[in-house]
Order: sequence, then structure tokens, then C-alpha cells
Amino acid sequence: MRSKLTLKHCIPIIFLLILLSLLGWELFFAQPRDLPSALIGDDVPNFALPTIHAPDKLMTPNDFKGHVILLNVWATWCSACQMELPMLMKIKSQYHVSIYGIDYKDQPADAVKWLKENGNPYVMVGSDSSGNAAIDLGVYGTPETFVISPYGKIIYRHIGVIDENTWKETIYPMVKKYEK
Amino acid sequence: MMLVFITRAFATEDIYQFKKQTDANRFQQLTTEVRCLVCQNQNIADSGAPLANDLRQKIHDMILANQTDNQIKQYLVSRYGEYILLKPTLHPATAVLWVFPVLGLFILLFLLRRQIVQSPLNKEKS
Repeated sequence: MRSKLTLKHCIPIIFLLILLSLLGWELFFAQPRDLPSALIGDDVPNFALPTIHAPDKLMTPNDFKGHVILLNVWATWCSACQMELPMLMKIKSQYHVSIYGIDYKDQPADAVKWLKENGNPYVMVGSDSSGNAAIDLGVYGTPETFVISPYGKIIYRHIGVIDENTWKETIYPMVKKYEK
Repeated sequence: MMLVFITRAFATEDIYQFKKQTDANRFQQLTTEVRCLVCQNQNIADSGAPLANDLRQKIHDMILANQTDNQIKQYLVSRYGEYILLKPTLHPATAVLWVFPVLGLFILLFLLRRQIVQSPLNKEKS
């Protein structure tokens, strides 16, 4: 009789512990900013953006096909993008991975000037002055980087600045898998 | 400060124009159901964030292009995930959200009933 009673009394306590650990996990370990792209595994949405250097030439997902690339969404008004730039330059010069840019809600002339002053890590930059292509990609803000497979599929999306750590530990291993 | 908000409210009405009243109503309804992604617990109708602005514009354009509410929501969910809808739709991944409250209530009622039936007070009566 006695042992039965204690077991019964334990149930609410166990329930409470489960709830508390769930809350604790949400509080300390959950990352509400860590939002995986809904497009992972899908084809890059179709877009045709005038390039900033030659507006009559369009940048489309067809330009990326054949090798794994990074598609970086940035803007001249975004200060975090300026912080990210040295890392992108390093990826270009040391790792030889092609980076394509989408200049988000910006003036192409400003972008050309900005790249001239700060350095240009991009193979090609398309101008998305309306922000429509970015919505098609499910972009939250700048900078944001997509890893795109040689077959034109979205493999990974990184929100925020790419630093040495994210590059070496997350993005580069993914790129290496496709690079042969 | 108040004045700024008032002007903004009117401006929003002016920017998104519809020929049909039903379309305008759909726009009102949809923008309250879509989350402002960069401000987490606000809908895009109430938010002044640039991304919310763009999403409002997109919904406006899609309504004018005769897309149904479902097509519009589907489009947004396929880009931004289920998270973009303030009220998640019912499917296997979200089922627990919808079922648990009802289930919990039933379990609670069941336990309560058992307590009452087994309570010494009731036993004395019977």
C-alpha cells in the first residue's frame, strides 16, 4: 500500500521536472534566431537581376551551375556586410570558392563605388533594388549567405556575418563535399 | 509621437490600393496573420520594419494578381517556413500544438472526476 502511494505521488513531480527541463532548455539552449531555410534541398528560385557593373547583362541561377558557390545577400547600407567583407575576400583568395552577390535594396552605382573602395570578392553581383528576389529566397536581412550545389540546389543558409569559425567549421566542410 | 503613428496609419491605407473592397478586406486579414519575421511577435500589419513592408507589398501584388489566400500563404510558407504564420496550420508537425490542449483538458477532467468519486465525502453519502 505504501509503495503504491509514493509512486502515485511521484508522477506530478516527474511531470513538473519534465516541464521545467523543457523550459530550461528553451531558456538557455534554444536559438530563436537560428532559422533553417525552408528552401533547403530545393532549386534556387528563378530570378533575373541586372548586374551592377553592366545593367543590360542579367544574373540568373544558371550562372551558378557547374560548381558549388556561395550566394551572398548584402548592401552598402549594411554595416555588418562591411565587417564580413574581409572574410569573403579571404574565401575568394585562399579557398577559391566562387561568391556571387545580390545587392539588396540598394543603388547599383553605390554598390560599384563601395566594391571599388573596399574590395570585390564577387564573381558577379545582381541588383535587387525592389527586394523581390530576396523574398523569393526567404531572406530575413543582410548579410545572408546561401550555399548552392553544382546542380543549383540550396544546401545551406547562414544568417548574419560569416566569420572564421562558421566558415571553417560549418560552411567550408559542406563546400568541400561538392568540390572535387 | 502620437502624430507620427497616426500619419503612418493613414499612409498605409493610401499605399496599398485595391479596386475591390473584398480584396482590401483580404489584405487586412492576411497581413494580420503573417508574422513580422524580424520582430518575432508582431504581425506585418502593425510593423514598420522594412522586411514587413516588403512582405505587405508582396501580398498586395499577389492579391492583385488574383492569387487565393491559400496560394499566398503557401508561397510564404515555402520561403520562410511555417513560422511565418502566426496561427500554424494543422499538419503532422504541428498536430501536437492543436491536440495537446484538448487532450490535456480531457485528462484533467477525468482525473478530477475520479478524485470526486473517490473522495471520502462521496463515499459517506453512498
